[in-house]
Amino acid sequence: MADTLVPEIVDAPPAEERRRPPRVRKTPVTYLMRFVVTAYLFFLVAWPVSLVATNTFANGFDSIRSLVEDPDMVVALQLSAYVAVWSVVINTLFGVGISLLLVRHEFPGKRLLNALLDIPLSVSPIVVGLALVLVYGGRNGWFGPFLLDAGFQVIFSTPGIIMATTFVALPLMIREIVPVLEEIGTEQEQAAESLGASGLQRFWRITLPSIKWGITYGVVLTLARSLGEFGAVKVVSGNVLGQTRTATLAVEEKYLNFDQQGAYATAFLLAMVSVACIVVVAIIRPKNHP
Amino acid sequence: MSIEVRGLNKNFGDFVALDDVDVTIPTGQLTALLGPSGGGKSTLLRIIAGLEKADTGSVSIEGVEATHLPAQKRNVGFVFQHYAVFKHMTVAKNVAFGLEIRKRPKDEIEHRVRELLELVHLSQFAHRLPSQLSGGQRQRMALARALAVEPSVLLLDEPFGALDAKVRKELRDWLRRLHDDVHVTTVFVTHDQEEALEVADEIVVINEGRVEQVGTPDQLYDEPANDFVMSFLGEVTHLGGLALRPHDIELESSPSLAGSVEGTISRLVRIGFEVRLTVLTVDGEEVSVVVTRAHARAQRLEEGRTVWLTPAPGAAVVPRMAAAV
Repeated sequence: MADTLVPEIVDAPPAEERRRPPRVRKTPVTYLMRFVVTAYLFFLVAWPVSLVATNTFANGFDSIRSLVEDPDMVVALQLSAYVAVWSVVINTLFGVGISLLLVRHEFPGKRLLNALLDIPLSVSPIVVGLALVLVYGGRNGWFGPFLLDAGFQVIFSTPGIIMATTFVALPLMIREIVPVLEEIGTEQEQAAESLGASGLQRFWRITLPSIKWGITYGVVLTLARSLGEFGAVKVVSGNVLGQTRTATLAVEEKYLNFDQQGAYATAFLLAMVSVACIVVVAIIRPKNHP
Repeated sequence: MSIEVRGLNKNFGDFVALDDVDVTIPTGQLTALLGPSGGGKSTLLRIIAGLEKADTGSVSIEGVEATHLPAQKRNVGFVFQHYAVFKHMTVAKNVAFGLEIRKRPKDEIEHRVRELLELVHLSQFAHRLPSQLSGGQRQRMALARALAVEPSVLLLDEPFGALDAKVRKELRDWLRRLHDDVHVTTVFVTHDQEEALEVADEIVVINEGRVEQVGTPDQLYDEPANDFVMSFLGEVTHLGGLALRPHDIELESSPSLAGSVEGTISRLVRIGFEVRLTVLTVDGEEVSVVVTRAHARAQRLEEGRTVWLTPAPGAAVVPRMAAAV
């Protein structure tokens, strides 16, 4: 079959995949706009954040050292990391599932579900914390006493912190994946199906690799958001030093106790983790995924 | 018979896509499903592949009852209009996909992929990503991918529809030759009657969810079952209650043949080697006639001249219907 007599087909070179945007003529307005944008970002973002860094290192590495030597702070940082990781895992699993449901299936109440998914972004985290206490509160909650009798404390404990953090970061993953799923369509999966792939094989071999960059960005955003969550966690955690106090709560505590060095150092560490995530993704992502 | 479709019905809401369709597709042949857009031919193909579910009716492939078989168990190759390439895999990996799913030994897969890439002239692109290929190359890759699993039938949904005219023509010839070599039962959907007439062994004309006619290209062209098939396969004009092709009308400057119709040339356009005339007959019909340039010159045809028209002997004619298309 390989040595069939088929005439050679002359192929046109593939079209240029990525086109440069047309060059716009630079006018004084262009420069003015650049200046406004740069100044805006500088005063709102770059300068304040850089001040946190300079304050942290005002005495060299002393503030960082005293931070990691304080066992309560180590617990707070560990708790923050633990909570953030769980929030990322839960939101990734449910995010992929809910996104597939939203994009690939029609069902009554789909628009309502879609709207509900934005609630965590639009409602203040404080409200989220209070709502969770109402349901899972150990003494007066709707569901809490039952769980407490079963030996499972939610509020004022790690599960509550994880729930609050997961709730607040819930839409980030879904909003990253849904557009990607919509763009890739179902044809690749149908092709895989006709080639004999089962549902699970199609998911692992086709769908997941196609949305992996969406998931990656979702993980980064969820991680950053989870590490930084403050309001909802403050309500549900009980803020017990060395037990349920997360790093963000510790920042506030230190700041209020006039330990500004410690507050800045903790804030700096939190910020660095998020920045590191974004930088790593920017480096490893392929060029044609904007 | 390779594919047997019986009593197929499919509705999308109020829209009737397929209306009680019966089709038999012969083994080892290249069959075209031809019809206008939205006529239901793609739906029929997708139901045969198992990518769409019929409301009622049955499908059997190679004697196996397939109506309720999922697509992954039907062993059909499917080629999509927009290629449906696996973007994150190299060309070789794309072609190997079906074989890897079937857990074939590694060296067998490698050998088969090399063979297929040679067949579709993509050997030198084996390690590229699909985004680095042109449209025609992607579609050839998709074809190799579908052929890799040795499907019992190969289904192509407007396979050349997204390509430009030149590549389209090349691939069309190439598909015909490929089929002559590979002999897998092939069904392709097209709305281009020239493509169907040129490539297919057999054509199924589908319109508004119904099969209008099944036959070889010659049968369809020479003995169209009705006005629709006739008009869909080429230009049609009407003369004395008959539908026929404009080039099948004989035109004379004096009434020498019995039954000829008198008329006046109201318009004359020359396009390259042919001359298109509009003749207004004494019965008030507007008839299009196509003659060769030489013929027009020999008879000194010009606007305003009186001529006599007769259907040429052996012309394909069908009685004009009330609901002519």
